[in-house]
Amino acid sequence: MSNPGSPRRALICGVTGQDGTYLAKLLLDNNYQVFGTSRDAQTSSFPGLSQLGIRNRVETLSMSPIDFRSVLQVVSRVKPHEIYNLSGQSSVGLSFIQPVETYESISLGVQNLLEVIRFVDPSIRFYNAGSSECFGDTGGVPADESTPLHPHSPYAVAKAAANWQVAVYREAYGLFACTGILFNHESPLRSERFVTRKIVAAASRIAKGSNEKLKLGNIDIRRDWGWAPEYVDAMMRMLAHPKPEDFVIATGFTQSLRDFVATVFSEAGLNWEDHVIFDSDLIRPSEPMESRANPRKAHELLSWKPECVGRDIAKRMFWAEYK
Amino acid sequence: MSKKALVTGITGQDGAYLAELLLEKGYEVHGIRRRASLFNTDRIDHLYQDPHLAGTRLFLHYGDMTDSSSLIRIIQQVLPDEIYNLAAQSHVAVSFEEPEYTANSDALGALRILEAIRLLGLEKKTRFYQASTSELYGLVQETPQKETTPFYPRSPYAVAKLYAYWITVNYREAYGIFACNGILFNHESPLRGETFVTRKITRALARIKLGLQDCLYLGNLNAKRDWGHARDYVEMQWLMLQQEKPEDFVIATGAQYSVRDFINAAAKELGIQIGWKGEGVDEKGYDGHGKCVVSVDPRYFRPTEVETLLGDPTRAKEKLGWTPQITFDELVAEMVREDLKTAERDELVKRHGYKSMDYHE
Repeated sequence: MSNPGSPRRALICGVTGQDGTYLAKLLLDNNYQVFGTSRDAQTSSFPGLSQLGIRNRVETLSMSPIDFRSVLQVVSRVKPHEIYNLSGQSSVGLSFIQPVETYESISLGVQNLLEVIRFVDPSIRFYNAGSSECFGDTGGVPADESTPLHPHSPYAVAKAAANWQVAVYREAYGLFACTGILFNHESPLRSERFVTRKIVAAASRIAKGSNEKLKLGNIDIRRDWGWAPEYVDAMMRMLAHPKPEDFVIATGFTQSLRDFVATVFSEAGLNWEDHVIFDSDLIRPSEPMESRANPRKAHELLSWKPECVGRDIAKRMFWAEYK
Repeated sequence: MSKKALVTGITGQDGAYLAELLLEKGYEVHGIRRRASLFNTDRIDHLYQDPHLAGTRLFLHYGDMTDSSSLIRIIQQVLPDEIYNLAAQSHVAVSFEEPEYTANSDALGALRILEAIRLLGLEKKTRFYQASTSELYGLVQETPQKETTPFYPRSPYAVAKLYAYWITVNYREAYGIFACNGILFNHESPLRGETFVTRKITRALARIKLGLQDCLYLGNLNAKRDWGHARDYVEMQWLMLQQEKPEDFVIATGAQYSVRDFINAAAKELGIQIGWKGEGVDEKGYDGHGKCVVSVDPRYFRPTEVETLLGDPTRAKEKLGWTPQITFDELVAEMVREDLKTAERDELVKRHGYKSMDYHE
């Protein structure tokens, strides 16, 4: 345990991603000592950390979550008070192409972290990144913490298994382990593999003179999109809560991808229908049409309430891109 | 041409009954067995056919659920019409000790087979049965449990099986594979593994009766389960793949007994009347001579217990006309009878100065 006055130590598994980057910043701002892992920390340039100006304040380590030894070594060395597991294959589309790797990086990664916590120090608090994809189609009913899961992709099935494995270890061994069931959350650090950033990047190039066409799949899907920097705050609050519990993290506001596209192009002074073409290759083998969330528990127990909702997300992303 | 079936886990309880059923129905049956340093085909010994003879319809292949290439190769060779995925690390308590292996064989194992079907282009030919489990219900959200009851798994075993359940649904929805889950409640038989509670009870009481063992040590005596006979349940596995459309089914009897009830029923078959005294970890069962024959050992408690499971098999009855034929009492009687035979053999062997195995857990 830490001496009085010495900072709390947090270990972020998957610090190169969008959430890992913002979480590192937030924890530093809250006087944590922050350690972050990537599968190969020597060759990764951590562009996100550099972009936020915190590259030198985060100690980075190599760790492969699917390799028990590497997890054990890192956790033993860092002796964290809190572990945030944000690592894992995170693309729904890619999970249809790499279902086994998706399962291993998500479910086996969680499994190893939970076992290492039991082994090294059961008082370590553990946050696991869950996903709203696990709910599937709820038929317009806003999903909350008690909504049954109905995953529709290898990614979502793997996340559902991880979600339950965390619950089993919490109940079986009394670990402070919880899952944040985060609905879609975006930011300028989203990679272009994700549809929101892809749209924003294309619209920005078109506004600057490119005559490309933006290819999209199903734009009638409806999602609850939030602002990633606000979502990592919910993660920190979950581990500061007196009891380990799962929370749905979302804005409570659902909009269509069509609306997102229209907002972005309208910010760019363009009519989206002139620049977007449908591409059937981008239709997924199966996916939920609509996601809807009820984040009341997080509001009430964590005093967490997002300020950036609805069209603000699209607008902020566009202007960050266009600059 | 007879239909071809591939059974993973053919050396297990369900595999043995299913192989027998499929052979009766005229199938060519292929089974996958793991390499082991001991013989592991006891349960299908009676079905074995010498491959040197003509007209053989049972074939065994070496393979492993944790080895993709072995599965792909076997499926490519056999080109089965039906695959029954019964292979698994199937012991709940062991899954707490070996969570990673359980996930690898039970969760990824199912995915590997579904992937093999896809990459061999067999989506339209090969039907897939996934052995799902009532353990998915765990901390039950309603009673009795049916196909629409939300899951709440409570062990690494149940979590791995949850993954296999949903990935089966996903491959049905995403790729149109004829894939179904049978959510089977506990099903027992004389072929049940010796470390599962029912078989542990019938085997121990038979041995106690013949003086080969002193006492039976168990965990939670209050756990309530819906116990059926494996022979009835494998018929339902076959029926599920004969439907017009793939759909998931709960397979259960709809009746529930406690572990203590099971002990009483098994003891009665052996002419032992058990008197219970004490509570919780101090509870003990005494035979007619006041000798303690059942005792609680907290070592067998699980980090998280599943207290009660009771299935509602209405859909199976209405849609597939399935009802279990073997009653609880008949099941217990058959298990006791078979274990008594084995105990008698062991006792005879021992009496004549030869070595017999005790197989302590």
